[in-house]
This record gives sequence, structure tokens and C-alpha cells, in this order.
Amino acid sequence: MSKEQFDDETLMAFADGELDEAQSLALEEALAEDEALAERLAVFFDSRRLVGDALKPLIDEPVPDALAASVRRMVQAAEGNETPQDNIVALPVRPQPQARAWLMPVAASLVAVITGVIGFTLGRIAPSTVDSGTEVAAALDREASGRDVALGASGTRLHIVATFRDERGDLCREYRLTQPGSSTQTVACRQDGAWATRLALTTPQTDGYMPASAQETVDAYLASIQAGAPLSAEEERKALSP
Amino acid sequence: MPTVPERLVAFLPNLRRFAISLCRSRELADDLVQTACERAILAADSFAPDSRFDAWMFRILRNLWIDHLRRQKTAGPHDDIDEALDVSVPSGEAATHARMDLAGVTAALQKLPAEQREVLVLVCVEDMSYRDAAEVLAIPIGTVMSRLARARKNLMELTGISFDEGRSSDTRGSVL
Repeated sequence: MSKEQFDDETLMAFADGELDEAQSLALEEALAEDEALAERLAVFFDSRRLVGDALKPLIDEPVPDALAASVRRMVQAAEGNETPQDNIVALPVRPQPQARAWLMPVAASLVAVITGVIGFTLGRIAPSTVDSGTEVAAALDREASGRDVALGASGTRLHIVATFRDERGDLCREYRLTQPGSSTQTVACRQDGAWATRLALTTPQTDGYMPASAQETVDAYLASIQAGAPLSAEEERKALSP
Repeated sequence: MPTVPERLVAFLPNLRRFAISLCRSRELADDLVQTACERAILAADSFAPDSRFDAWMFRILRNLWIDHLRRQKTAGPHDDIDEALDVSVPSGEAATHARMDLAGVTAALQKLPAEQREVLVLVCVEDMSYRDAAEVLAIPIGTVMSRLARARKNLMELTGISFDEGRSSDTRGSVL
């Protein structure tokens, strides 16, 4: 059997497991006697392995908070617009006749939070508690999303997740305060020049990450105030400038 | 059967890996992922539930990337890739062969033309069949195979060359 009949694409298909059985058998026979053929084949095995080794680990890179939050928001908005037959919890963005249908699941999940069933405490949920931390407020006026800011000497770190507008067009920011031992996820909106806390969830310290259930609560709240998509860096800069 | 929006969140790490593999810039990759998700939600009705969700998402993202390359108004995708790449290749260390391979491959990947790079990523990173890759790229399966074979031979050549340039003791040689 002549080696000429195995072109590069045939060898590659063999290396990728895409060659049919008859051709694979013929190739295997030829390989046993032809070292040059084996070397040509090695190019395709090696290249696959090398590219895989170089790029596959990218999947372990954490998805940035702002991106994940933005997509979750889109998803919730989309699911809210699904027809009621869909077997999912609906969280609509637009006030529509079925609006009441989602109030219950949201309310139920908040109750679950309050009663501690999923293990974290609810800070403030009542609207308009003016945020007492002037340092935080100053940072919210000034800092871009996605960065970590150290506050004071207490080891508190502020991470602003995203900036968006609510249904009334008020400028809102979602941020996380991490202290030794606990982490608080907050949504605050600017009213009359001050930052008013709309929602704050405190969870035991988890290395700066929110438990999924807490994040869901924040997301449910954002959906309920019809939070818009996060502002781009450019839009954010404009919105924050005095 | 989960809906398109329900699948999206779980699929984010995959989609992001694909985006970074294509354009190498994480900032651009995240923009592409975000826009792809918006498109997918808007076009959810056009997704056939019995088809592959990953192939469908990759196609959306890949088309956005191509649009982006077009907007760059460079001579061609190849030029854009060279510019867009922002990869730090581990350097200088008296490394093991595995490490040398990885650095060499990362550098070589930057040099491949866009059309070779995308097919390489779909098959060798995302483990897609030739048929699925053909569907994502909207090209015949024969074209997938010829591009992929060329991409891999080029990659191995480039890997050899980059070793020659960067280190005195190249033992791999180039496959010309």
C-alpha cells in the first residue's frame, strides 16, 4: 500500500477521530511500516494537544462580575417577557398584566431570606435609608465600576459592581463592601444629590464572592425596579460627573 | 428543555473562553460576550431546540467578531489580529519543554490568520466535529478541513520558528 494516498487532511481526520473505519485501518497498517508517515501524523496530534493545553484553561478564568450581572439581568428581563405557560419564574421588566404573577415568587424568596432559611441576614430593604457612610458616598460619586477601593484603616474594601438607571431614570450603583468577617451587597440610588440605600444584604465573609442565593435576591430586586443594562465606562463617567 | 436565556448564564465561561481565544483582548472579549447574549435573547425563537446550543452561540459571537474586524478598516483580519493581541508570553525562564511549548503556541497562535485561528479554536479547544465547525462558520466541511490542516501545519512551523528566535537550543525543529 503506497503512502501517497494519505494526504494531510486524511491524516488530520485520523488524529481528530473523524476518519471512517476502513480508512483508519488502512492508515494504521501503513503507519506500522512508514516512519515518515507517522511523523506527518504527529503534527496533527501534537497541534491539537498544544492548542488545547494553551487555551482550554481559559474556561477556569472567573467571568467578571459586571459581565455576569449584566447577562443575568438580561436573562431575567427576557424570562419576564415569556408567556405564562413557560415553566419558569417570570421577572418582567415592563409593567404588564401578568405583573402580579411575579410578585409572589419574588416576595417568597425575600421571605426565605429574612427567615434565614438560606443562611444570611437581610440588612435593610426599606427604601430610602440614607447611606450613613460619607466615605462610601464620596467613593460612589467618584469611582468607576469594576475597581477595588480601600476605605479608611479598618480594612474595609469597596467594590463597585455596576452603574445603571432604575425605572424612574435615577442613577443607581450596585456595590459590595467587604469587611473582615462579612460582606454587604448594596444597591443605592442617587436622590437629591445623596445616595439612598435601596437594598443591602449582609452575608458572612465568603472571599468577596456573593453566595448564589444572595446574588439571586439582588438580581430579583434589580428586576423589580426595572434596572436598565449597566452603563458603559463612558456613560458612567458622564453620569457621575457633576 | 431549558430556554435560551436559562442556558446563557451557565454557558458564559465557555462563551468567554471562545471570545478570548478569538480576539485575545479580554476587554473586547467581554464586550462581544455581552452583545452576543443580547442578540441570542432577541433571536431566541430562531434557535432550534434539537440543535447544538454551543454551536449556535459561537456562531453569533463569531459573526460579531467578524463585524468588529470589518469595522477596524484594516487591510484584513490578519492585521487586526496582530494588533489586537495582548498576550504575555512567559519568557526568560529556563523552562521545561511543556512550558516552552505553551509559550511558543501562544505566540504562534497570534500570528495565524483569523480564518485559521477560528477553525483551530472550534475543533481543538471546543472539541467540535468538523460538521459542527462548518455550521458555526457557515462554510463547507471540505473548507473546514483544508483550513484546519493548514492552520495546524502553520502553527507547528511557527512554533518551531519562535523557538529558534527566542532560544538557542531548539530541539523541535520546524515542520516545513
